[in-house]
Amino acid sequence: MQNLASHEDWKSCFSEVAPGLLLFARQWVQSAADAEDIVQEAFVKFWRRNHKIENRALLYTAVRSIALDFIRRDSRRARREAGAISETDEFIEPQFEFEDDTQRALAEAIDVLPCEQREVVVMKIWNELTFAEIAGVLGVSQNTAASRYRYALAALRNTLQPR
Amino acid sequence: MNDFSEIENELRKLRPAQPSPILFERIEEAMMNCREGAWSARQSRKPSPYNWLSLGFGLAAAAALVLFAAISMEHQHDGGKEIAQISRESETAPLRSSAKESTSSDKFLPAGATRLVYNTRNEGLQFARGSGQPLRRLRYQTRETWQWRNPTTGASLRVSYPSEEVVLIPVSGQ
Repeated sequence: MQNLASHEDWKSCFSEVAPGLLLFARQWVQSAADAEDIVQEAFVKFWRRNHKIENRALLYTAVRSIALDFIRRDSRRARREAGAISETDEFIEPQFEFEDDTQRALAEAIDVLPCEQREVVVMKIWNELTFAEIAGVLGVSQNTAASRYRYALAALRNTLQPR
Repeated sequence: MNDFSEIENELRKLRPAQPSPILFERIEEAMMNCREGAWSARQSRKPSPYNWLSLGFGLAAAAALVLFAAISMEHQHDGGKEIAQISRESETAPLRSSAKESTSSDKFLPAGATRLVYNTRNEGLQFARGSGQPLRRLRYQTRETWQWRNPTTGASLRVSYPSEEVVLIPVSGQ
């Protein structure tokens, strides 16, 4: 079991989990900078408590909790920003690195998934959490987590099927 | 779940955006400041209206003083009895002399008192209720030490405790 105790450890661990964590945080905030703030706070908290990196579920729980606090705290600001974005069609940083139009379409389909399905997909695909871990993060049963995942994949598949 | 293997593979090909290099620097800085942060957080915690530690020490010191005074009074009382008995039995001179020695050996005399001011904080001006004159509020943190000595035996007793004092000084305009 690897511990995050040493200085270099955290860097290698963070490099590994950061893209998935940021993607997870982006579900609640539109700005990449806000997502980075959330991930930073969660990761530092995780490291300070000397948790093992294998307990990734705790890290996602922390990100989720901090993100929800963040949007509660900044709900007014978020509304203002959402209004400004809709009015000016402001550029929002992409959450994925696209290679072709299919991938772009897939990313857009992910964006319109219901939040409860999207978070399960993000944790399962890009963070490789088990359904048991996902259930722990969300406070639901494993069956519920698995169902949400299946519904999400079905919706994505339908979106991408040629008509 | 096999039905979804194709879409799962497509999803895995999508790579999430990488974090900015600044994020690593920020986390590194946060890691470095971890201990300092925790320390300053403890320091900047909102102060309680009462300084419980000082209050505890103060109460302990007061209890010690009361106990000492009670013991001292009891000894004086007992000594008086002995002297009275001795006066009734004045013919027993050796007993009287030993009683006198005993009385004087129990006597502790004040030997010193110090008040060390180790911190003064100016808490600014304030207006007392119903007063138009501003008052400057100064908070002194001190350590008071009281000492008693028994001149016969050379034994000494010392009580020391921290205390806090708030002084309001009227400020007059020139």
